[in-house]
Amino acid sequence: MEEYPEELRTPPVSLVALFGYSDLHATITKHLHSQQPPINALAFPDLSHLSLLLAHDDPINRTSSSRDPLSVSDSSPSGILKRDWLLKHRTKVPALVAAFFPSHHIFGDPTQWLQVCSDLDSLKSVIRPKNIKLVVIVVQSSPQEEVSEDRLVALRKRAELDSKYVLFFNSTIDSELTLSLSRIASAFAELALAYYREEGRRIKSRIEKRSSTSLDLNVRYCFKVAVYAEFRRDWGEALKFYEDAYHSLHEMIGTSTRLPAIQRLVEIKTIAEQLHFKISTLLLHGGKLIEAVTWFHQHKASYHKVVGSTEFIFLHWDWMSRQFLVFAELLETSSATVQSFSSLNQGTAEISLTEFEFYPAYYYQLAAHYLKDKKSALELLFSMSETAQEIDSSSESITPSVYVGQFAQLLEKGEALTLHSITDEEYTRYTISEAKRFQDSFEIIAWLKKSYESFTNLKARRMAALCAFEVAREYFGLADPSNAKFFFDIAANLYRQEGWATLLWEVLGYLRECSRNLGAFKDFVEFSLEMVALPVTLYDVSGNLGNKTYGPGGPATISGRESIHREVFSLVSHEAELISSTRESGFTLSTDSPLHLEIDLVSPLRPVLLASVAFHEQMIKPGALCSITVSLLSHLPLPVEIDHLEVQFNQSTCNFVVRSSQRPTSASNTVPSASRVENEPSLVLVPNNWLRLTYAIKSEQSGKLECLSVLAKLGPLFTICSRAESPAAMEELPVWKHENCVESLPIKDPVLAVFGQKATQVEEPEPQVDVSLGASGPALVGEDFTMPIVVTSKGHAVLSGELKINLVDVGGGGLFSPREAEPFSLENHHVEICGINGAEGNDESESETGNIKKIQQSFGLVSVPDLKEGESWSCKLEIRWHRPKPVMLFVSLGYLPHGSEANAQKIHIHKSLQIEGKMPLFVSNRFMLPFRRDHLLLNRIKPAPDSEDMSSLPLNEKSVLVVSAKNCTEIALRLVSMSIEFDDEQGETSCSIQQSLGCGDASGSASLAPGEEYKKVFTVIPTMKTPKLGLGSVHLKWTRQGGNTTEACVSTKHKLPEVNVEASPLVMSLKCPPYAILGEPFTYAVRIGNQTQLLQEAKFALADAQSFVLSGSHSNTVSVLPKSEHVLSYKLVPLTCGKQQLPKITLTSVRYSAEFQPSAVASSVFVFPSVPQANSTAR
Amino acid sequence: MIVSVAVVGRQNNPLYIQSFTEADDALKLHHIVHCSLDVIDERVNNPKKSGTTLNEAFLGLLYPTLNYKVYGYLTNTKVKFIMVTTDLDVRDTDVRSFFRKFHAAYVDAVSNPFHVPGKKITSRTFAESVSNIVRSYTFN
Repeated sequence: MEEYPEELRTPPVSLVALFGYSDLHATITKHLHSQQPPINALAFPDLSHLSLLLAHDDPINRTSSSRDPLSVSDSSPSGILKRDWLLKHRTKVPALVAAFFPSHHIFGDPTQWLQVCSDLDSLKSVIRPKNIKLVVIVVQSSPQEEVSEDRLVALRKRAELDSKYVLFFNSTIDSELTLSLSRIASAFAELALAYYREEGRRIKSRIEKRSSTSLDLNVRYCFKVAVYAEFRRDWGEALKFYEDAYHSLHEMIGTSTRLPAIQRLVEIKTIAEQLHFKISTLLLHGGKLIEAVTWFHQHKASYHKVVGSTEFIFLHWDWMSRQFLVFAELLETSSATVQSFSSLNQGTAEISLTEFEFYPAYYYQLAAHYLKDKKSALELLFSMSETAQEIDSSSESITPSVYVGQFAQLLEKGEALTLHSITDEEYTRYTISEAKRFQDSFEIIAWLKKSYESFTNLKARRMAALCAFEVAREYFGLADPSNAKFFFDIAANLYRQEGWATLLWEVLGYLRECSRNLGAFKDFVEFSLEMVALPVTLYDVSGNLGNKTYGPGGPATISGRESIHREVFSLVSHEAELISSTRESGFTLSTDSPLHLEIDLVSPLRPVLLASVAFHEQMIKPGALCSITVSLLSHLPLPVEIDHLEVQFNQSTCNFVVRSSQRPTSASNTVPSASRVENEPSLVLVPNNWLRLTYAIKSEQSGKLECLSVLAKLGPLFTICSRAESPAAMEELPVWKHENCVESLPIKDPVLAVFGQKATQVEEPEPQVDVSLGASGPALVGEDFTMPIVVTSKGHAVLSGELKINLVDVGGGGLFSPREAEPFSLENHHVEICGINGAEGNDESESETGNIKKIQQSFGLVSVPDLKEGESWSCKLEIRWHRPKPVMLFVSLGYLPHGSEANAQKIHIHKSLQIEGKMPLFVSNRFMLPFRRDHLLLNRIKPAPDSEDMSSLPLNEKSVLVVSAKNCTEIALRLVSMSIEFDDEQGETSCSIQQSLGCGDASGSASLAPGEEYKKVFTVIPTMKTPKLGLGSVHLKWTRQGGNTTEACVSTKHKLPEVNVEASPLVMSLKCPPYAILGEPFTYAVRIGNQTQLLQEAKFALADAQSFVLSGSHSNTVSVLPKSEHVLSYKLVPLTCGKQQLPKITLTSVRYSAEFQPSAVASSVFVFPSVPQANSTAR
Repeated sequence: MIVSVAVVGRQNNPLYIQSFTEADDALKLHHIVHCSLDVIDERVNNPKKSGTTLNEAFLGLLYPTLNYKVYGYLTNTKVKFIMVTTDLDVRDTDVRSFFRKFHAAYVDAVSNPFHVPGKKITSRTFAESVSNIVRSYTFN
């Protein structure tokens, strides 16, 4: 695009000329530039420079044709467009002339006025024939200046101007200045528009008049109309006439006879190119992306076949390439490209455009392609004709001529330079010499790189790969192998990934040559081997082997593979020296050093040597023999003989070597010493056939045994190391997996072929030591549960043994309670290991120093003393439960069976046992109030919200506490003692608890069978009024009842609930004899005691009872004085025998509005039929 | 004239590629077929952007390049058919019917019980029927 002249690339801008008053020009020019659209200005200091305007200073033009081409009326012009016409109209021919006159020249002195008139006349004589507009500007020095109407009218008449084009300009005042400037600008714009419109119309009329006569002129006129339309910013008309010009031009291709054939076409194509450029620019700037692309395709299609002379076809390719390049640049720079493609395929049903046609990258790529065509056409031309080769640039002085797309010879005749038209032969010599000067390759590379980057950004990887390939080929042609290799690698990676073998073959062929040129021997061998192992299955192509379309790798055929195979193997094998002398390989130096190729799982060389290794067993015993199958597969086209194979394991002692017995053991063919050697009759890799080798190996070391790699030595200096793969996890070869060939299994055994692994587990040797856990029944919470552990040697000596003990919660909740915060408190562990006692009486353990003994709550580590065969050692593990919980006990012993060898492995024995932890005793308690004394306890009637289950005790009254302990285990326990102890000092002062005597055993010792309950009675007298009285806790001491009496008592605590102590305002006590006799009256007294300092009013109501006849008041209200008692006395006669309910009394305290009754148990009495005689008989 | 047809597998690997030109430009056609996969990818991944509806297997013109036009067809199993022609004015209906026949031939070939799905098509019958179809279509 840069090679186009500037006037063609940018839209034209109106031009005006300013005369006189040069000090104002800068201001006015600046203002005109800032206008929208801007106006360019030519500035002349005074009218004496008038001759400069419109001067034809082109010497060439002067000699060849002095006529203005616009006014020419002959029918055969010598060219279509003048080269400088556009420039002339943009920079030389103004649309209007503005003449500045000072006001005093006009309105003052008559001589000066006459000068003005003559100036105007001369000006008019110059511009009138060109239709150039005129503006007269009167420059005032002050706004108050006198203006003579007469002179003004005379001025207008003289200048033949409308009054609005005679302007006043005043620069003295700022406001006037801006006003004047805008007046000038609008007048200029208006007149320029008029000028260009008139010019356009004038030429348009010419088109209409003589449309059929000459296509040349038609094209020229259309072009001019379009340019004038552009001056007016009438893009639509401009586009229409550019297109008209373009179409007329296209008609000229077959018809024009003015110039020699080649030059004729060159002229037409050059103009077509310019017109096309204009049209594309207009379309793109108008945002019409689809139209622009469609237009480009039409342009390309209509000129694609217009080749011209086939001998000089490079001219055509050059031209085509330029079309694509320019359009690519236009697309790239145009803002229209950012528009989304959402609206693309709408309304373009007849020509469907595809996505990539909107990307500049597509055009860059094709531009490069055509330039390449040009290059090769040029090369062909050079090779065909010797004359073309001899042409050098200095031969003739041929320059572009006056007309666009024409060339002429510049001849010097004395002082004058003349242009002579040239013959086609001269022209082609000129173009060839020009073409020689350019290095097309660099441009091709630059465009392709641009395209490559752009496609990469678009994530069009394959397009990008093709571009990279083309770039690389260009570099390759320029003998730049390192750059070429970089880009070939990009392409090769993609083709490898997608398995396009033929494309990969081509790229690898180039890469091979690159590394050959770079002298990279290893790369060369790698690329060659990769090529050789490609799935190219085509047989010989018939005939056209010598065709140049093949890359350096030759045709992708089986014979091609075989020949490369032979070449590589003769290079790497011993005979290389013989070959290298005859062949130009360039690797004579590097063949002396050994070549080692590593093939891993992602290497493209995997098809060269694929090693699959499978153990026949998943677990093997140490020292036992196990079969292992090593299978090798090669996709090389010819059989390969292997000198020896090294199979390497992670346990290096297992490594072994397989040697071909056919090959003599030479000095170079040395095998690593101290490893096993197997002999095979022959080690030949046949193409596409697995070479299966099965051997037995054994490992002494337990743990994982894994085959790492298989190293094949193919010659004295050539080794390939292939990573071992499991048959189960073997991935298919990316380039071979889609081949339709017979697949065989790496191992004959189908199970191993599917599930075989390259690693196996070597077991530990069988332990010959016994660990026993002497568990005895469930454990009880609180006691130290003893777990004897016995280690007995049964054939192995135990050396540096270690016993690991672990407690694991069976429920999974962990041994910690989540509720309790302090992590290291003893209480946090529900189950913990308390201690481990070494075996008593075992002297060896006593003398053993450096005993490891590490105990944590749930983990213990004990070292076991060295034991000889047959000896045993025991220890006792003490575990304590704090909560009932089942736990799992894991005990593992690790030991060395032999002495302290460095690599000796420990043998482990694991034992586990689940132990249940149980609660031994269930403790409960109950409060009882004094018999037949009822206290009005307000809290019991209206309980506080947070004391629902809390018992209430009256202050200073003796209450009874019954504590019972129930054996809930399955074994008999012996309760040693039971007592209540206060938790703190406060408890002792606020309450007194006494053990009531005379109930049960005095010592408190009792045997409890499973399920049996033991009760003990205490009296409690609260002495302090408190809503929450802590009564302390019950301390139980117990042991298991059984043989082991030496065991210490286990003490268990049970916390008693808190009670509410309050003073009762009223106490109701019932008085009645212990028993009654049928028919005999007795006294039943209800005492209401007031314990407060206040007068208490109490209502009582006595319900009738069926079994008694009652005398006394049924209900009444009584007042009880402070600290006194009121006695309600009744006489009752029992009517029935047995335990009878006494009449129920209900007392209501008016002050507290509380009602209470004695309990049903307390208010009953036994009625005997007659006086009992029991006492007398006993006596 | 149809110069090349190709069957491309799910993983964009070539399953069958055959050129029908006298000139030895098979490699160039391979490159063209390979590049056209980019267009298919773009069209399948951004159906909205390219404005095509993917309700049918026929993908239409993939892209014009040099003297060729490339057409594509995508089966339900994501196997792609690609056809390269030198004819400039081709009616969509013709290409459509070509692809339909090609598809039928492909289905016949892969229905062979000895054919392993996903492997290259080496059947000679398939090659014959494809070249018959190609010969019967000269779009002008």
